Amino acid sequence: MLPHWKIVSLLVVLAMAVSSEVRADPQDGNEYFEKHIRTLFAKHCYQCHSKRAKEVEGGLLLDSRGGWLEGGESGLSVVAGNVDGSKLIQAVRYTDPSLQMPPIKPLHADEISHLEEWIRMGAPGPTDVDVTNLHDPSDPVAGKDHWAFKPISERRTFRLKTSTWATSPVDQFILDRLDKSNLYPVGDANPRELLRRVHFLLTGLPPSSDEIQNFLDDHERDALERVVDQLLASPQFGERWGRHWLDLARYADSNGLDENFLFREAWRYRNWVIAGVNEDVPFDRFVQEQIAGDLLPFDSMEQRDRQRIAAGFLVIGPKVLLGNNEKNQRMEVADEQIDTIGRAILGQTLGCARCHDHKFDPIPTSDYYAMAGIFASTSVMETRHMLGSQRAMERLEGLGPGGAIEDDAYERYWRELPELKNKKKLAESALVALKKMGDDGTSEPLAESRAGLAEAAQDATRKLSDRITAQGAFLAELSKAVDTPPKIPPRAMIPIDAKSPCDEHIRLAGQFDRLGSLVPRGALKVLKDDQPITIAVGESGRTSLAHWLTEERGRAGQLVARVQANRIWHHLLGFGLVRTVDNFGRTGEQPSHPELLDFLAQSLIDSNWSVKALIRQIVLSRTFSLSSQFDETNFAVDPDNRLLWRANRRRLDPESFRDALLTAAGQLDLRPMESSVSYLGDQATAVGANKVRRRTDFPCRSVYLPVIRNDLPELFQIFDFADPQSTTGSRPKTTVPTQGLFILNDSLVMDAAEATARRIMADIPSKDSDVRVDRMFEWILNTVATKAETDSLNDFLRMTHERLSAVESNGVSKDPEFRALAIACHALFASSRFQFLE
Amino acid sequence: MLPCNRFSTPTTRRSMLRNSACGIGQLALAAMLSQNASASPLTFDGPLSPKQPHFPPRAKRIIFLFMWGGPSHVDTFDPKPRLTLDDGKPLPDGISGRDQSKAGNLLGSPFRFAQHGESGTWISELFPCLSQQADRLCVIRSMHTEGSAHGEALLRLHTGQANLVRPSIGSWLSYGLGCESDNLPAYITISPPRGHGGVQNYGSAFLPAIHQGTAIGSAEIPIAKARVSNVGNTRIDSSLQRQQLDLIQSINRDHLRSSTEDQGIEGLIANYELAFRMQSNIPAVMSFEQETKETQELYGIGSEPTNNFGQQCLLARKFAEAGVRYIQVSTDYTWDHHKKLKEGLVEESAKVDRPISGLMTDLARRGLLEDTLVVWGAEFGRTPTAENTDGRNHHPQAFTMWLAGGGVKGGLTYGSTDEFGFKPVENPVHMHDLHATLLHGLGLDHKRLTYRYAGRDFRLTDVHGNVVHEIWA
Repeated sequence: MLPHWKIVSLLVVLAMAVSSEVRADPQDGNEYFEKHIRTLFAKHCYQCHSKRAKEVEGGLLLDSRGGWLEGGESGLSVVAGNVDGSKLIQAVRYTDPSLQMPPIKPLHADEISHLEEWIRMGAPGPTDVDVTNLHDPSDPVAGKDHWAFKPISERRTFRLKTSTWATSPVDQFILDRLDKSNLYPVGDANPRELLRRVHFLLTGLPPSSDEIQNFLDDHERDALERVVDQLLASPQFGERWGRHWLDLARYADSNGLDENFLFREAWRYRNWVIAGVNEDVPFDRFVQEQIAGDLLPFDSMEQRDRQRIAAGFLVIGPKVLLGNNEKNQRMEVADEQIDTIGRAILGQTLGCARCHDHKFDPIPTSDYYAMAGIFASTSVMETRHMLGSQRAMERLEGLGPGGAIEDDAYERYWRELPELKNKKKLAESALVALKKMGDDGTSEPLAESRAGLAEAAQDATRKLSDRITAQGAFLAELSKAVDTPPKIPPRAMIPIDAKSPCDEHIRLAGQFDRLGSLVPRGALKVLKDDQPITIAVGESGRTSLAHWLTEERGRAGQLVARVQANRIWHHLLGFGLVRTVDNFGRTGEQPSHPELLDFLAQSLIDSNWSVKALIRQIVLSRTFSLSSQFDETNFAVDPDNRLLWRANRRRLDPESFRDALLTAAGQLDLRPMESSVSYLGDQATAVGANKVRRRTDFPCRSVYLPVIRNDLPELFQIFDFADPQSTTGSRPKTTVPTQGLFILNDSLVMDAAEATARRIMADIPSKDSDVRVDRMFEWILNTVATKAETDSLNDFLRMTHERLSAVESNGVSKDPEFRALAIACHALFASSRFQFLE
Repeated sequence: MLPCNRFSTPTTRRSMLRNSACGIGQLALAAMLSQNASASPLTFDGPLSPKQPHFPPRAKRIIFLFMWGGPSHVDTFDPKPRLTLDDGKPLPDGISGRDQSKAGNLLGSPFRFAQHGESGTWISELFPCLSQQADRLCVIRSMHTEGSAHGEALLRLHTGQANLVRPSIGSWLSYGLGCESDNLPAYITISPPRGHGGVQNYGSAFLPAIHQGTAIGSAEIPIAKARVSNVGNTRIDSSLQRQQLDLIQSINRDHLRSSTEDQGIEGLIANYELAFRMQSNIPAVMSFEQETKETQELYGIGSEPTNNFGQQCLLARKFAEAGVRYIQVSTDYTWDHHKKLKEGLVEESAKVDRPISGLMTDLARRGLLEDTLVVWGAEFGRTPTAENTDGRNHHPQAFTMWLAGGGVKGGLTYGSTDEFGFKPVENPVHMHDLHATLLHGLGLDHKRLTYRYAGRDFRLTDVHGNVVHEIWA
C-alpha cells in the first residue's frame, strides 16, 4: 500500500489524463500490431504461415489481416474482438492437446496476453496487400486489387437465425456480423431518446416539447417515418448536413496562412452548399458542379451563377499570398486542390505523390502531375484591389446579367484611383493659378498648371470668370469621382480555365523549378479502365475529370460512392464502417462490414445519388434506433462497439451545442443568413491598425457564424470544430480543460441560462418549484425529471436562493429567485445529459 | 503501462485500470464513482503527464523571446566594419546572386559595437544590460530561413512550414514531453501575435488539442490587462460556483451510473475538476504579489519603457518555475524597421534589454537557468542595404539568434556571415536546424518525434534538419 499522500499526488498527476481523445484510434491498432504482434509472428509463426514460407502449413497465412481473419483449413483463425472464440488463442494457450501452436514450445505468457489484447482490439494489422512485401506499392496495375479500388460487389442474400430483429437490409448485414461473434443487439432506444437523436442528427436542433408529445402520442407504425420525412424536408436539414460538407470543403471566410485577407464573398458558396443539400441535388451532380461548375452548360443566368458559385470550392483554399513566386504559388494552389479533392471525394492521400511516388498507395508521381496539369491550367487568382494596393488575390467574378461590367467598373476605379487623385491635384493648382490671374492680372498659368486645366478653361480668349467657373465644375467632378467609390458589386469566388491550358512536368522532389518529364493531363491510372480521359484542346480538363470522378460504372465513381456512403454512416452512427473516413488507401482501415458498405454505396447510386434517400434508409433501420445501454457480455467481446451491438453515445458538436442553448433560451433566429463578415475590412483578423474583429453575437444558427481561419469563434476553437485550413471528415473528439472553463464561465452559456430562466418564470409565474424543475428538464434536456432529480434540483434552488438572499442584504445581489433559477439552468446546460446524445 | 507518446488507450480505460498492478486504478475509480463530489480525480496516463525524453536532456524547458518584426542583425549582434566603411555604396556584384538594382545602397550601422565578458562576445550599444551577461550567450550569427514576408517567415519560425498547417514547436514539445505541472498547460504563449498566421503559430494542428498553446492576451494588449479566457466567473463567487459544480457533477455521476461504462462521461466529470483547479491555479501563478520589489525592479517593472515587457518576462519565469514546458514571450509588432531604423532600434531595445537581462539573472539565482533554455530571436533579419534611406528591408537570408542557459556553451559565437551580413558563410544554421537543435536540447530526436496523420508520419522538421552539436557545453 502506498502512503496516502503519494496516492493523492499520483491521482493528481493522472488526472491530467482527462484531456485525451476518448476513443481508440485505428492508427493505434496498427501501431500495436507493429510493436507487439509482427515480431511475435515473425519469430514464431512465419516460418510456416507466411507467403514467404516454403510450404504454407494448413493454409494459414499470418502476414495480412485477410489471412488471419480467413483462417486455415482446420479453422485456425482469429475472430476480431472475440478472444475466446479465436482458435488461434486456443492453440497458443496449449489447453487442447490436439491443437497446440507453435508446435515445439509454447509462447511466453506475455506474448499470449499481447495476442489476446490484440484480438480484443479487433485484430488490426496490415491490409490484405502487405505493403512491405510489394515490389512497388505505387504500381497502379497491381494496386487495382486493393479492396477500395475493386468494383462494388453484388449484394448477398441472408439466412439468419433471428430475423425478427432485423427490419431492413441494413439490419441484416449488422445482425449477420453480430451473430458470427456471438453478440446480440441491445434493446431499442426509448422514444424520447430516439426523437432527440433523430432531431439533432438530421437538423442539429432539439425537438420541441410539442414535437416530443406528438411523437409519444403517435402509435402508428410509421410514426418515426413521418418525423424523418418531415425533418428531411425542413430547411434545417441542409444547415446541418451542408455543414458536414463544408468541413470537407475546408470552407472559410478568410484566407488564413500568412496573410489573413477576408473572403468577403465566400458565404455564397456556403449558402449554395446548404441549398444544394436541401434540394437533394444528386451527389454526382453536386461534385461535378464544384469541380467544373463554371464550364457546365446552363439554361438561365441563375443557373449559370449557381454553378459558378459551386466551383468556388476550388478557390476557397488557403494560399501563401505574399512574397510567393507566381510559378510556385500555382503549383501550391494545385496541390491544395488535389489534396482536398483526394481526401474529400476519393478518400485518397494524393498529396503524398507530389514529391515522390506514393510510398503506400498505387499513385505514382506521374498520376499526381497528370492531375496537377488540370489544376495548374485552371486559374483561381487574379490581380485586383486589396488593402490599398493591387495584389494577387483569389479570383472574383460579377454575378447577374451586368455582373462583369460592374465588377470591371469597380476594379477600374481602384486601379485608376492614384491617377485620378493626381489629376485632381493638378486641377486644384490650375484653379488656384487661374484665380491668381484674376486677382493680380498676371499672365496665363504656367505650363505645369495648364496640365490640370479643364478643356473649357483652357481657352484664353474666354472671360476669366467663365474659365474659373468651368474649372471649378471640372474640379468638383473630379472630387466626386475620387470620393465616391462604386459599391462592391455582387461577386463570387469563381475559377476560370487558363488562357492556354497545358500539361505539366513532373517536379523533382516537389520543387516547382526542378522539371522532370512532361505528363499528359489525366486521372489516376489505378481508377481508370484502359482508355485515358479525353480533354478537348483549349480546356483545362476539369469537366472530364468531374465526369470521371462520378461515372457510376467506373472505378472512380464506385469509390466515390463508397466514400460518401461511409461518410453518411459516420455522421449517423458515430463512426464510419471505415473509421478512417478520409483515407481508403492501404494505410487506412478496412471496412468492418464490407458487404454493407458496398450495399450502401450501390443504394446511393441506384437512388440516382440521392443523399436524402440513403440517410432515410439508414435512419429507419433498427440498427439506428438501438439504445446506447451497456451490456457486460457484449462489452467484453467488443468494447469499441465496432459491430454495433448498441448505439454510440455522442457529444454534441459546438454548432448543436450553441443552437440548443439558444433554442432553450428562446433566442434562436431560424432565418438563413447571408454574409456574417460584411462589416470586416480587408484584413480578417484584428492586427496592427485594424481593430475590427469577427462578431459572434448574431442570433443565427451556428452554421452562419464567421469562419475566420486562425480566429474561429472561441466556442468552435475549443470544441473541436473542423480545422478550416484542410479537409476534415472526422472531427477530433477531445476533452480539454478549456472546454470545462468555457462552459462554467463563458457569457454565451450564462446568458442563455439567464434567458431560459426568465422564460421559465414567465411560463410558470406560480413559483411552483416542482413544475419549474419539470420545465427545465423538458426544455433543456428534452426529458422528464425523476423524483430524485426533482428533489435534488429543488434542494439546490432553495440553498442557492438562501445564499443569494443573504448576500442581497449586503446590497450585492438582486432577484435571488431568478438568479438561483439561472444558475440551475446553467448547471443543466453543463451536464453530460445535455451535452451527450444517447 | 502504455509506451510514451500515446494518446488513446488501446483498450478501454476501465479494463486498464483493472489490470494496473498497484491498485491505484481501483482506488481512483472508486473515488470517481463515489458521492463525494470534490473527490473525483481521473485516472490514467494522460497526454500531459511527464514523458521520458529519447535521451538525457540538457534542458527541461524553453523560454522563447520573440521580437516580432525582425530586428536587424547587423545593428545588434553581428558587427560589420566593412558595411560602415562602404556606407552609401552599392552592394558589390556577386554578393546577393540576384538583381540588386532596385535595392538601396549599403547602410552602415549607426551603432557602436564592443566586446563583452571574458568571451569577448560582440554586442552593440543597444543592449547595455544584456552585455553584462555576454558570457551566458551563445550567439548564432549564421541563421537563415525562407519567407521574405512576415507571415510566411513567422509560420516557418513557429511551425517549420508555411503553406501547410503544422503543429508549432511548443505543441511538439508538449506532445513529446508533457508538462511538469498537474494544473497547468504544457505550452503557454504570452501576448502572441494575432496576425501573420495568428493562432496557427501556436496551434497544435493535427496533434491532440491539449497541445495547443494557451494564450495570455495578445500582442497589442498590455500584459497587465491580459487574461486567459474564461478563467474565473464574473457573475458568481467561487464558493457558489463550487456548489453549482457539485450539482453538475451529481447529475453527471447519475448519468454515468445509469450508463455503467462511458469514457465520454467519465472524461467530462474529471475534466470539470481539472478546469476548476486550473481556474484557481493560473491566477495564482500569474499574481506578482509574492514577488519582492527588488525582483520586480530587476525586470524593470514599474518603470518605463520596460514595465510591460518586464511583466511578460517575470510571468515567463513564474510559469517556468511552475513546470510549464514551453513559454513564448512576444513583443508587439514593433521591430519592422523599414525606416528610421536608428530611432526604432533605440526605442525597442530599451524596452527589452533590462527585462531580458533581469530574467536571466533571476533564473540563474533560482537555479533555473541551468535547465531552462532561453532563446532570443525573430522571423528574419534585415538587409545590409538601405530602404527609404534610413531603414532596412526584410532579410531571411541571414540573421542572428542567441541561446542561453539550458546546457549551451555560453560565450560562444557560432557561425558567421559575409562582410556585409548578407549571407552565412561559416556553419549556416537553417531554421529547421535550429528546431532540430532545440528538440535535441530537450532530449528529443527530431527524427523520432513523429505523429501519424493522413496516412503518414509527420515531424517538426519534415525531411530536413541537422542538430548543431557544437553549441552544447
